[in-house]
Amino acid sequence: MRVLVIEDEKKVANFIKKGLEEEHYAVDNAYDGESGLYMAEVNEYDLIVLDLMIPKIDGLEVLKRIRGNRNNVPILVLTAKDTVEDIVRGLDAGCDDYLTKPFEFLEFLARIRALLRREKVDKEPVLKIADLTLSLVTHKVMRRGKEIELTGKEYSLLEYFMRNPDKVLTRTMISEHVWDYHFDSMTNVVDVYVNYLRRKIDKGFEPKLIHTIRGVGYIMKRD
Amino acid sequence: MHFRSLRFKLTLWYVLILGILLISFSSLLYFTLSKSLHRDVDNKLRSLAEHIASDPLSKYGFGNLDQTLESSMNLKPIGKFIQVLDESGHLGRKSDNLKNIQLPISLNALKNASKGLITFETNRSIDNTPLRIITFPVVEHSNVTKIVQIASSLEGVEDVLNKLFLILIITVPSALLVASLGGQFLAHKALKPVDDITQTARMITSKNLNQRINPLKVKDEISRLIETFNEMISRLDQSFRQIKQFSSDASHELKTPLTILKGEVEVTLRKERTSQEYQQILKSNLEEINRMSLIVEDLLLLSKADTGEIRLNKKDINLTEILNEVVVQMDRLAKSKGVRLYTSNHHPDIFIFGDGLRLRELFINLIENGIKYTEVGGSIHVLLEKGYVPPVDGQSKLVEREEGEFAKIIVSDTGIGIAKEDQGKIFNRFFRVDKARSREQGGSGLGLNICKWIVEAHQGEIKVESELGKGSSFIVKLPLTSPRMNI
Repeated sequence: MRVLVIEDEKKVANFIKKGLEEEHYAVDNAYDGESGLYMAEVNEYDLIVLDLMIPKIDGLEVLKRIRGNRNNVPILVLTAKDTVEDIVRGLDAGCDDYLTKPFEFLEFLARIRALLRREKVDKEPVLKIADLTLSLVTHKVMRRGKEIELTGKEYSLLEYFMRNPDKVLTRTMISEHVWDYHFDSMTNVVDVYVNYLRRKIDKGFEPKLIHTIRGVGYIMKRD
Repeated sequence: MHFRSLRFKLTLWYVLILGILLISFSSLLYFTLSKSLHRDVDNKLRSLAEHIASDPLSKYGFGNLDQTLESSMNLKPIGKFIQVLDESGHLGRKSDNLKNIQLPISLNALKNASKGLITFETNRSIDNTPLRIITFPVVEHSNVTKIVQIASSLEGVEDVLNKLFLILIITVPSALLVASLGGQFLAHKALKPVDDITQTARMITSKNLNQRINPLKVKDEISRLIETFNEMISRLDQSFRQIKQFSSDASHELKTPLTILKGEVEVTLRKERTSQEYQQILKSNLEEINRMSLIVEDLLLLSKADTGEIRLNKKDINLTEILNEVVVQMDRLAKSKGVRLYTSNHHPDIFIFGDGLRLRELFINLIENGIKYTEVGGSIHVLLEKGYVPPVDGQSKLVEREEGEFAKIIVSDTGIGIAKEDQGKIFNRFFRVDKARSREQGGSGLGLNICKWIVEAHQGEIKVESELGKGSSFIVKLPLTSPRMNI
């Protein structure tokens, strides 16, 4: 899952990035409203964390403009403004959740999970295809009752696949949702990681779940 | 209506005064009229009595008195009862209308008559009819020969007076009643705005200080009161807003380091880290803690300054020396940032009456500020000179404050400069031209506000001249207290 953090305070942005990356999210930082808005328009994020008091373009304005572009990405506002008026203004401008600083990091993570879950119909904290399960909370991956050890990137990749079952995912889509901004799209990193993942979840199991669509990308399905 | 209300008191006074006036007027009217009517009756009685007494015919004590009067004097006194007595009081002739009644004569009247004096009496002994009786002695050759008594009924007079009394007794209280109602109405009308003011004032709390009392159309005492009230509420509103803004700013300033501390520690504790990572986090934490204590210290200083708790320790001090010391002290910081700090101070020592410690703090803040916002290769120039503004006649107070000699300190840098629209605000608490940059540079956001306080505590003034991209100059003027201190 790829997250954009728009926050001008560098130290805050840094620890959020570090904490999220350790939870297998791909994180981009933007330090002002202008670049944040630009990045939100150019890239496809699964979630945006937004501070309100940011330079160049005010956070509320960024929020309005993102929504004005018919972009329904979940947005979590993270700010020191904690009056009821501020919270109402933020929610009315189109954010999905509001967290005031200073905040509990555990709560922050739980809220992000909840926001990402909203996209799904069943809202289960566990993703499931055939006998493969992935827990979004504990990050445990099991196939046929057996736990599978995955690296951070492999986990992110699998989560993306399992969130979009029976859908053809191009290499670009995969790179955009699993890797951050510094990803070099000219390499075959996506193929390499898909092969790693295949070896761990499909080797020795039936049915195979990851299938190659030649010239296009990959698909995850039961058969 | 409350008995202690202004409306009640006003009405009461009004009715009281009007009552006194009306009652005195009525009494005067009644008594004057009564006196005048009675005198009228007396005068008529006397002239008739004189007339009768002067007539020689009356000397004869026989015959019909009415006929005699009519024939000899052509008199037909209607409604007058006349009798003539001899000198000892025995009845002689009398008018027909007396029939068989004799007019009473008092002992006193008889005595007076014997001395030749006229007596007027009011008597009710006959049918309880009020009669005014004149007892008039007829004097011939200094002897009282006869007494003429004439009576006239006072019924008419008393009727008039009774009617008048009745009218007064009814009209005066009703007039007072109407007046008191009218007075209440007028007082109510006049005091209604006061009630409105009370209502509004009661409703205004710290939550709705934007409310105002509706001004009146006319300009009178009440409208001036309303204006004054509204101005007071405006001032309250403004200072409440300032306090709110300040506390929200202060809490925001403190929340940022808190968020960093909490977040960094929480993220770090989620996993086992290398000791290097731990060290890095602790260092970063320390930075934030230092920043917080700086903010708290500065806030405390300013709040003490606001309440006047800080006393300046003013003495004769050598300003030149202090400034030179600060420049030497700050040189290290400037060098480490690759900025040149220099002073051009050709003036002999300048002495000033001030607090050396605070002035040192002022110069440190200004120079530090300059160093922070100047890029590598730039320079900070500190200049101290003496200025004199001759008193100008008929000028504003602002000029008056600059009268006499002052020390002028200019700290100019070749830094990033301050935009015109921000120049007025930089002395405000927590105002930052560039939030992110100023945090990176450290500092509480209160430094220039403290500078302003120090300068103003020395009766001086501070201002900034700046151009974006070229640099800023902070100009401080501090009055020297007396020329004697100059060497």
